[in-house]
Amino acid sequence: MRNAFTIAGKEMRGFFVSPMGWVVMGLYALLFGYFFMAHLTYFVQQSMQSQMGGGPININQFMIRPLLQNVALINLFLLPMITMRAYAEEKRSGTIELLLTSPVSDLQIILGKFLGAIGFYAALLAVTMVYVGILFAFGTPEWRPVVTGYLGLLLMGGCFLSVGLFISSTTKNQVVAGAATFVVFLLLWIISWLGQSAGPAMAAVLEYLSIVWHFEDFSKGVIDTKHVIYYLSFITFGLFLTMKSVDTERWRG
Amino acid sequence: MIEVQHLTKRYGPFTAVDDVSFRAETGEILGFLGPNGAGKTTTMRVLTGYMPATEGSATVAGHDVFADPIAAKRSTGYLPETPPLYPDMTVREYLTFVGKLKLPASVGKAERTSRVDAVMAKTHIADMANRHCSKLSKGYRQRVGLAQALIHDPEVLILDEPTAGLDPKQIIETRALIRSLAGSHTVVLSTHILPEVSQTCQRVVIINKGRVVAVDTPDNLTRQLKGSATLYVQVDAAGADAAPVLSGLDGVRRVVELDRHEQMVGFEVAADADRDVRRDVARLVVDRGWGLLEMRPLRLSLEDIFLQLTTDESGNNAPPPESEQPHA
Repeated sequence: MRNAFTIAGKEMRGFFVSPMGWVVMGLYALLFGYFFMAHLTYFVQQSMQSQMGGGPININQFMIRPLLQNVALINLFLLPMITMRAYAEEKRSGTIELLLTSPVSDLQIILGKFLGAIGFYAALLAVTMVYVGILFAFGTPEWRPVVTGYLGLLLMGGCFLSVGLFISSTTKNQVVAGAATFVVFLLLWIISWLGQSAGPAMAAVLEYLSIVWHFEDFSKGVIDTKHVIYYLSFITFGLFLTMKSVDTERWRG
Repeated sequence: MIEVQHLTKRYGPFTAVDDVSFRAETGEILGFLGPNGAGKTTTMRVLTGYMPATEGSATVAGHDVFADPIAAKRSTGYLPETPPLYPDMTVREYLTFVGKLKLPASVGKAERTSRVDAVMAKTHIADMANRHCSKLSKGYRQRVGLAQALIHDPEVLILDEPTAGLDPKQIIETRALIRSLAGSHTVVLSTHILPEVSQTCQRVVIINKGRVVAVDTPDNLTRQLKGSATLYVQVDAAGADAAPVLSGLDGVRRVVELDRHEQMVGFEVAADADRDVRRDVARLVVDRGWGLLEMRPLRLSLEDIFLQLTTDESGNNAPPPESEQPHA
């Protein structure tokens, strides 16, 4: 495990010394800030109307929940940029030879890369907490759904990152890795759309496969083991594919 | 110690390494010589555990590369053809990272730092410790690569073209460094530069098209190929017709006229192996009053051997000058 952490540290460091890491972080904050503004303005309008009609409306339900659900959209565009370098760059520059000839197992390398990516993603989420903090400063939202929401985001991001890692391990070219990852993320999201015309049984299956669908309960403040297991098994499967891909690459040379 | 037995590596239908076997004893520097694409890098990559072999076995420092890869990698230092540097790390950061990966968990932070300092001193890169790897010159990159291979003081060092792309002064320094590592380390280095082998290595494996063509010391290779002791004898114009007389000498197998000018004529005199005919030749020439201008042993340079061994005999490539058909 020590080796995995060494590699994770190197990966994390790589994000923070390269301009790319800061650009991704800045864009992430920018997009989140935009959604925050949009939802806030809407929420203010709604609450003014509802004050005339009935009681105050729930900030968790009408503001934080849709806001966190929008993070999935930001992830779709920005998470491929985190993983696209992971293997592709090491293969292109030849540093993969260092890793593969060090006394470290493939699993340790893959876990290290995954932990590094998820660590950087966690840093991105930490930045967005500043916005959510503003709501806590000026209002009284429930904190539990916020915590479960962020837990869900972390798990959902983990799925994206494990798939991204796998795709990066199949190519030397960062751009190919990034583009392919984006497409696969998108498909994993919109796979449930087919369900609407595929009959109820198929719809349930396709909905279950959609990564974003599993996030809804988290954003409502519910931790359902069904979703946790889905995310964890998805991540394991992604890392398993990465492992097989690295192994295959070795045999083919 | 390194032992490779019947190693074969195929990429689909292409056979990169074909039934290669060799040994490198502890403390020895073994040269891996062959033209580009001969299978040197592939063999080294198998030895370092970068890729598995299709068939055969390889043992490094007593650990089987396939059965016990982690232990084998722990005793191996590897400098790939392109030094595997991370451009955004400084030299010190890079070596510390590699140290964390390669040194056993029992090595503490202080000891690791002193290892990093030690290898930087050894490879003369201490003055670049805080420079980013992306800003290093080719020579420094190569040396940082070597420092990286040495950081865990491995029993076995595998160096893929360690002097490629260096300037002459750096080449001399690097060779001296490699020679100084022999004894405590077993070194395998690949090269297609011939003088490097004769200057640095104790034994040579010549490899061509994935097959081992010859394994021996540089000196033995030279002798064995020649098959016999050969002299170059130059006499003045009086000895223009010396060839038949010289061939009459006991122990001389063949005399070939190599060059002829107005004032002199030169012969290649081939004698039976292990027979020193120099005294007899000298006496004969002097007795006849031909005027001995020059007499020296003819040796094939490694370059000639290399060309001989790796040139297809069926091909139309002319054999190099002043060399015979291979004896073997």
